Amino acid sequence: MTTRSDVELRVPADTAYVAVLRTTTAGLAARLDFTLDDIEDLRIAVGEACAMVLEQARADGDLHATFDLGSGELSVTVSADADAASEPDKDGFAWQVLTALTTRASAEVTPDAVGITLSMKSALLD
Amino acid sequence: MELEDTGVEGLLTTREQSMALFADFTAEGVGEARRTECRDALVHLHLPLVEHCARRFRNRGEPYDDLLQVGTIGLLKSIDRFDPDRGVEFSTYATPTIIGEIKRYFRDKGWAIRVPRRLQEMRMMIGAATSELSQSLGRSPTPREIAERIGVTVEDVMEGLESSNAYSTLSLDAGGDGSDEGGPSMLDAIGEDDAALEHVEIRESIKPLIEQLPAREKQILLLRFFRGMTQSQIAAEIGVSQMHVSRLLNRTLEQLRESLHGRA
Repeated sequence: MTTRSDVELRVPADTAYVAVLRTTTAGLAARLDFTLDDIEDLRIAVGEACAMVLEQARADGDLHATFDLGSGELSVTVSADADAASEPDKDGFAWQVLTALTTRASAEVTPDAVGITLSMKSALLD
Repeated sequence: MELEDTGVEGLLTTREQSMALFADFTAEGVGEARRTECRDALVHLHLPLVEHCARRFRNRGEPYDDLLQVGTIGLLKSIDRFDPDRGVEFSTYATPTIIGEIKRYFRDKGWAIRVPRRLQEMRMMIGAATSELSQSLGRSPTPREIAERIGVTVEDVMEGLESSNAYSTLSLDAGGDGSDEGGPSMLDAIGEDDAALEHVEIRESIKPLIEQLPAREKQILLLRFFRGMTQSQIAAEIGVSQMHVSRLLNRTLEQLRESLHGRA
């Protein structure tokens, strides 16, 4: 809808920058009036998603993060360029963490990029 | 500790000893050697008071010996400042100073990095407001609600939350330090819930990794991811702050990730 606004961030594909994305996520979620529980969950989920994406990322590449701000809903996509990317292991513990913490989690894999999208609806919506 | 087994009679003697020593310590024209001797004796005599004060702060993650040490500094200050002519018991006079010294230690020591006092206070106000609001709302509050309660901006609250990551995590194992006096640790305060957790289906691949985790981390991880409890609920159940749960979860996930990597 027209009320949607987006935030984009590009950082080096390096674990040192994951904290920046986590903090940004928390800041945006706070703007959307998410509860502290939700904010902390999102923070963890984004860290986890970044770790999964970085596993496959090209060392000299970038880590992209886009944030879709809806009303009471926040979607985060983290993606990176990769060589011969493969689907994240959806039976693995990391994926289980993502799905437990968020409303929706999905992976987008192309031969040269890997991305994970997380969405969370504010607990206050119901 | 020859003073430990003394009864009422012994306590009176302690007080009398103390008064006699202070009389000498503060008297005009007493030699430096005698003063030092009195001071040492006074410290010795009142060490049980320091132990008593320090014991109140066990289970908060700082070694008991360290608390004794800073408490003793408080005792020394009290001895140097005490005026026996005021007619106040020394123990009455010294207790607030000793406790104050221990509290100051916690305030300064609890932070992994130096955080401005303003942010330390913000963090404490956020913590207090969070638990109050969680009670009254029946759910975790939003940063805006916390900001309105404290009378600051949402940005201030977020800044305070970020800074709380610099607050060093006090271990849940703190307390029972193996000493004979070790009271129950925070870990002991965690209710047994293993029976319920047994029904949880844990994927075989990560089972060995989870088994290796310390009991408290395992408990929190299972409660969060396999029983679907929120961080606030876990915090309430275990009796620590939600921020603490968040930090422990983060750390545990990081450890798991590392060990998964190590095996790959």
